[in-house]
Amino acid sequence: MDVLIQLLINGIMLGSMYAIISVGLTLIFGVIRVVNFAHGELLMIGMYAVYLLCAKMGLHPYVAAFPVIVLLFLTGVLIQRFIIQPLLDADEHIQIFATVGLSTALVNLALMVFGADLYSVSSPDIRVTVKLGTYNVLVGQLVMLGAAVTLVVGLHAFMQKTALGRAIRATAQNRNAALLMGVRVNRIYIFTFGLGAACVGLASALVSPLFPATPTVGTYFVLTAFVVVVLGGMRSMYGAFWGAMIIGLVDSLSAYYIAPDLKEVVYFAIFILILIFKPTGLFGFGRGTE
Amino acid sequence: MSEQSMIEVQRGSFVQMLVFHLSRPQTYCSLALLSLLVLIPALSGSAFLIHIFVTICVFAALSTAWNIVGGYAGQLSLGHMMFYGIGAYTTSLLVTHFGLTPWIGMWFGAVLAALVGAAVGYPCFRLRGPFFSLSTIAFLEVIRLLSIHFVGLTGGSAGLIVPLKLGWAWMVFSDKVNYLYIAFSLLLLCLGVSLAIRQSRLGYYLTAVREREDAALAAGINNSQVKLKAVVVSAMLTALIGAFHAMYLTFLEPATMFSLGTSIEVAMFSLIGGLGTVAGPLLGTVLVVPLAEMARGWLGASASGLHGVVYGTVLVLITLTLPAGLVGTFGDRVGRMIARLPGGNRRLADRITPSLRQIGGTKGEDLIKADHLVMRFGGLLATDHVSFSLKRGEILGIIGPNGAGKTTLFNQISGFLQPTSGTIAVLDGHGAYVSPNAPDAFARLGIGRTFQIVQPFGRLSVIENIMIGAFLRHPHVDDARAVALRVAQTVGLLDQQDVEARNLPIGALKRLEVARTLASEPSILLLDEVMAGQNQTDTMGMVDLIRAIRDTGVTIIAIEHNMQAIMSLSDRIIVIDSGRVIAEGDPQEVVRNRKVIEAYLGEDFVDAQGF
Repeated sequence: MDVLIQLLINGIMLGSMYAIISVGLTLIFGVIRVVNFAHGELLMIGMYAVYLLCAKMGLHPYVAAFPVIVLLFLTGVLIQRFIIQPLLDADEHIQIFATVGLSTALVNLALMVFGADLYSVSSPDIRVTVKLGTYNVLVGQLVMLGAAVTLVVGLHAFMQKTALGRAIRATAQNRNAALLMGVRVNRIYIFTFGLGAACVGLASALVSPLFPATPTVGTYFVLTAFVVVVLGGMRSMYGAFWGAMIIGLVDSLSAYYIAPDLKEVVYFAIFILILIFKPTGLFGFGRGTE
Repeated sequence: MSEQSMIEVQRGSFVQMLVFHLSRPQTYCSLALLSLLVLIPALSGSAFLIHIFVTICVFAALSTAWNIVGGYAGQLSLGHMMFYGIGAYTTSLLVTHFGLTPWIGMWFGAVLAALVGAAVGYPCFRLRGPFFSLSTIAFLEVIRLLSIHFVGLTGGSAGLIVPLKLGWAWMVFSDKVNYLYIAFSLLLLCLGVSLAIRQSRLGYYLTAVREREDAALAAGINNSQVKLKAVVVSAMLTALIGAFHAMYLTFLEPATMFSLGTSIEVAMFSLIGGLGTVAGPLLGTVLVVPLAEMARGWLGASASGLHGVVYGTVLVLITLTLPAGLVGTFGDRVGRMIARLPGGNRRLADRITPSLRQIGGTKGEDLIKADHLVMRFGGLLATDHVSFSLKRGEILGIIGPNGAGKTTLFNQISGFLQPTSGTIAVLDGHGAYVSPNAPDAFARLGIGRTFQIVQPFGRLSVIENIMIGAFLRHPHVDDARAVALRVAQTVGLLDQQDVEARNLPIGALKRLEVARTLASEPSILLLDEVMAGQNQTDTMGMVDLIRAIRDTGVTIIAIEHNMQAIMSLSDRIIVIDSGRVIAEGDPQEVVRNRKVIEAYLGEDFVDAQGF
């Protein structure tokens, strides 16, 4: 029983990490309708940036979050402006190839610059264990849970309550109608991609103390993030949040009860089954295959 | 090269045809260029060059095989290396454990890959673009993780070494040039299969399904079956290449055998060369592989990752500048230049047009019996207990205000919508009433339909569009082309036969809808507002055309808003309003029916006129 509860706690902690990464992906897909295969590489860029800021300039990872969020927002803006925007009306397979190509180039660029070595951010205060009764959690994980909840609630409020949020939602629902209502759709897209990338910036600052940066770290996380997004119904912030929690739990439980090296098989199987049998996501928030 | 100067060559014996094909500039140029892939490295004798060219042949073959699914069928698989890995592991394990020669083992791998391909493809084909790609990545990852997990079978991450038994029987050589011969033969096999598919009905069908699933269904194409054929062929070829490459590399590990990166590269070569073209994947590989290898050579091993940066950057640049790829962009121009070479001024004589399908049966018998069709969309009742029958030989007009449910009714009697309740019975060729349950099944029964919102295959030429319909009764390409030409003449599209459909004006597109449907030689023709958007002359032409079609024995149901036309054409009219049949009968009776006038013009008008 103790093991199970500890596993559930671990699962929720993992889930909050996946949630922060997936929220940005959901935002970009939900509004721009482009599946960003290079999303993981944004995380990779963020993690190397956090590493550099911490190791070379002695910043605390959580302080480094602020410049990294700005950096990734700008990266996202550039990607949208110069790669996605020219291809908005192109065939779907061209859009896929563009982001896949970007992903390949960035992974290998990191390999050239940093080599295949692991770079860890050392921050002992984040890896301190907190006792919850008889169960253990890291401080960094609790921060991540808090950040995930804040981010999802905050983004949701932003989308519902502000004029910009409404413009984004209008654009997401009908690009042409939004255009006719005077919404500057291309700017909305650029801002949204930047915002989605900025979420990844936050994620990279929170993830760095717990996971080392490698050129392929993004590929590892992004596949999970796609599973989460599909599970959550692809458009919905809350869907992505609960999807992330489920994958976190599946990850934690199947690693223990099935086999550590087969946990991905389990959630890829869930991914495929959801896509095939319930493309609107587990909670019916979205319409996946329309 | 103008059409007039073409010399027609009559069809002859096999040898004569072979000589004809070999003496075409397209053939001898391709063969000459292809042979360079063997001649350059073999004559140089350099081990490094031979390695580069083996790599080129292997990747070009992989990309050509991928293109059958990714290009022709438009299903962007990013997990294709799963088939390569399956071929490699199956063959190697059979050599290791059973001493089975790879020449036989590779076919076991191919069959296994075909089964996996079918199992992956069947459920995933319904997914839209990026989600199909994602699911193929997921399958690739699952297979890779499983191959790491089952250490006993595959050797896990540590890998597997192919037994080093030399000789042709074991496909392992000390003289590397032998590998080149095999790699080149595999490339030829892939190109041959790719070319054969491109030029066959399957190739046209794959393009049709890629361009417009609905129109393909209406042409009687079983979409998932066609895609399944493509994935099975592609998976088998990929597995054969994987088997050979494993023997060449003599070492297998999950990370390289089931690599996502390589899957992406293989797809990328096709995109660079031109998706969906025969030569594109080869051209893309020949251009990019040496570029990356040379870059690696110049900058040394220190620059690991450089070739990936080159690949990724090239890929992004191609999507931004040349999305049709090299062959797609420059292919036509180069093709015309090649056609000017000696031997290019001849073409095969057209086949004799096959005779029309004879439509038998007794005039006046019930062809379609629709019984209490109810179609509900959420709270909306689109058709409300609609019953009618269609008699052989008649022209049945269906009229009604906008939103009355006419097109919904059409969608039900052509299989695009399954009625919520009620039945449709169609008379088949053997005199029995059957109820098909899919659009392509309706089409094969002889119900041809057009779409109100035209559904052309935009990237195909007018004649190819019509051929898609003709293939239903004439599987041979030459026959289908001959039939399509005849139909193009009938509907007045002959002058535009080589225009890409997306460049046609709306009037011509409406005629193309009719032509494509007509080419499938239906016994029942469903026409959905084919006169909308036509000018006066075209409308008159269309009326004459519909009469002429009826006179060949075809039974017709037409939805139309052009009252003058439909009244003069129809033998019988059904009026639908708010999903219900409100009047039925002779055109003259129907126009005087109070309910009909009410439906169109409102109650006030009826009262004012004193009906």
